[in-house]
Amino acid sequence: MNVKSFMECERKSLEKMKRYQLSNKFKKIGIGIIIISVIAFIVNKLSIENIDLKLTSKYGILIGLLLVSISKEKIEDELIKSLRMQSYTFAFIAGVIITLLTNPIFNYIANLISEKQEGSFEGVGDWEILWILLSIQVFYFEFLKRMNK
Amino acid sequence: MKNRLKIERAILDLTQEELANKIGVSRQTISSIEKNRYVPSTVLSLRLSNLFKKPVNDFFELDENEKANTLIKA
Repeated sequence: MNVKSFMECERKSLEKMKRYQLSNKFKKIGIGIIIISVIAFIVNKLSIENIDLKLTSKYGILIGLLLVSISKEKIEDELIKSLRMQSYTFAFIAGVIITLLTNPIFNYIANLISEKQEGSFEGVGDWEILWILLSIQVFYFEFLKRMNK
Repeated sequence: MKNRLKIERAILDLTQEELANKIGVSRQTISSIEKNRYVPSTVLSLRLSNLFKKPVNDFFELDENEKANTLIKA
């Protein structure tokens, strides 16, 4: 394989990766999964306390948010693509800032300053970061769409 | 960037929805362009140019700041 055909192959695979989006109907499926998972999560937290159900509902929320995030709008034109990119950028930056602010060291200092005598090294978990990132993206995208009406 | 999209649309007696359908975008996009909230791509500008049968410069124009910036850079 020469360099030119290798580059062509790379370019084609990159082009395929650009078409990552799902059709509009997956948005409704995603919302349905989120609602069911949130209900299951709350019910589990309040009464059942089942570890499997807890994990399943966590996965459900994450998969639902991902489906909503990557499904197309009814008319996916260049304005929507631009708003989508803005929302991903905003979510990424906000996610990093939130992670930094909730970093164990910040928590430790905050706990020491507050009335607690001992500082605890608790940070934000990986699930929470992913939820925050996807939630910010989904809500900011909806906000931008409303702003551009 | 200033634009005369609303005027050109009125000349053709088209609603935002009709214009959007003709060039394959949403009504929201036309509204955003008319309110100067969104600058369309070259492809969309050329589609509008085809529809209005006018060059792009006839309905899109740089504002004074953008013209000044161009002169400084040149």
